[in-house]
Amino acid sequence: MIMFLFRHIAIIACAALTVATPARAQPFDVPFVPTPQVVVDEMLRLANVGPGDFVIDLGSGDGRIPITAAKKFGARALGVDLDYHLIIQSEESARQAAVEDRVKFLQQDLFKTDLGPATVITMYLLPAVNRRLRPQLLDLKPGTRIVAHDFDLDDWRPDRKITIRKNVFLWIVPARVAGRWRMRVALPGGERAIELELRQRFQEIDGLARAEGQIMAPLWEPRLAGDAISFVVVDGEDRDHEASLYFEGRVSGGVMEGEVRRGVGSAQTLMKWRAVKVGQ
Amino acid sequence: MMADFRAICARSLCLPLALLLAPSAASCVAASEVLDVPTPYLPSTRLNVDELLRLAEVGPQDVVIDLGSGDGRIVIAAVRDYGARGVGVEIDEMLVAESNDNARRAGVADRVVFRHGDVLAADLKDATVVTMYLLPVLVATLKPKLLKELKPGTRIVAHDYGFPDWKADRRVMISKTYYLYIVPAQVAGKWRLHARLPVGERDYEFDLDQRYQEIRGGARVAGGFLPAFEARLVGNRIAFVLVEDDMSHRFEGRVQGEMMEGVVRSGYGPVLTENRWRATRVPPDAK
Repeated sequence: MIMFLFRHIAIIACAALTVATPARAQPFDVPFVPTPQVVVDEMLRLANVGPGDFVIDLGSGDGRIPITAAKKFGARALGVDLDYHLIIQSEESARQAAVEDRVKFLQQDLFKTDLGPATVITMYLLPAVNRRLRPQLLDLKPGTRIVAHDFDLDDWRPDRKITIRKNVFLWIVPARVAGRWRMRVALPGGERAIELELRQRFQEIDGLARAEGQIMAPLWEPRLAGDAISFVVVDGEDRDHEASLYFEGRVSGGVMEGEVRRGVGSAQTLMKWRAVKVGQ
Repeated sequence: MMADFRAICARSLCLPLALLLAPSAASCVAASEVLDVPTPYLPSTRLNVDELLRLAEVGPQDVVIDLGSGDGRIVIAAVRDYGARGVGVEIDEMLVAESNDNARRAGVADRVVFRHGDVLAADLKDATVVTMYLLPVLVATLKPKLLKELKPGTRIVAHDYGFPDWKADRRVMISKTYYLYIVPAQVAGKWRLHARLPVGERDYEFDLDQRYQEIRGGARVAGGFLPAFEARLVGNRIAFVLVEDDMSHRFEGRVQGEMMEGVVRSGYGPVLTENRWRATRVPPDAK
């Protein structure tokens, strides 16, 4: 928490500096500075923030992220900060920007903030704080976007990273898919039962598929983005009759379902699939 | 069970590994020496053909040239399943005859041409997609020819063996490794970039470095340098971001020889502005 205080002091100091120096002379990475406006813009852009979103900014400082989210991206937003003076200042800035009906600021501990309603979390915290927050972030609804700059979430690799003045990271909270699944899929040769075994480390997944009476085949190009899952299984008895099955679907608790394409070009067929979780 | 999985994967991992280990001196081998190393005829499977053409996103507008076309299966599939036109180049005359038979049987003879000849002498100027399944040494020897003769934006797809020193634009692993390369426009050098931005008219000296499709650089301004962030080059399409006045200016455009032009978007939301930009190449000898 002492770190936050430092950051806040720096924010005030820098706000004063910004006024005093011409905007073109860009100061470079100084510890505990407020997020430059251009980086705020790009964080919200990377998270693809829009009118349907509710943004929670953890450590909202002078309120620039929630205010920008409302003013430029049409979202609703909440900023939380420990510093009462910054909360007052943020509320005043929101009024000046005419977004006070869509932006709220609360003086409270970010660890005690209910993050559940958020579709987007923004943060510029220190690595140790990020780490402490991680379990809470992973528990959010799959598909929730998290954006941060400068500091990442350690070994939870970002889904995307861009560099525009600073490193900006995006994570998408992954659905939990690790375990054994039983799938039924209608294929040109008839309905088939396939057993899937998925391993997961954050959004990175891999796994195996076994059709009745066949050897285990790996899942190729496995991807998980929020609740959207996709992978490819090579189907076929021998080398000359192989075809790729492209699975795409959504995960909802213990059920995954979607569509599977077989073949390519004019010979392509599209069928439904559904899988149910049967074990860890 | 997971151990099995790793064993399966290890098999497919050998390929990229083999690539890394392939001597980088391959590109120095003279063409005449290469010609003496015959590429064994190992036909791609139906699956390989599908994945290659899918990765290249082949469609009716495309002319697909298959280098080392064997019995013609890739070219025929490109025409029959994707509506493209196709050209095969094959050094084995018997296989050329077989390809023509196969094309007739598939009912696509009017949309394919099979040429008997050496891939190193192939006429590539009409290609929008090049497919190849060749040994590393031949892939390396072909590279300068492909980069010189193919138009920017042409897709090159390969399986098993890609270009060791050219990072693929996409890489897909489905039983084996497939590589997609998009021939980049030549943008390295000095440019004069003119744009009208919300902060005023700008006339930047703009420098670009290039390694295949990877580019970096920036704009020189009085007393400073604006790095080009998130710079991307895909064929002749270029994009980069300049930050000035605490605002991002997002440039997108097309490269046409000595000129680039497009649209630049500044800011977001109610303050978003859109303007044209244009850059012309500064000849190397000019100050």
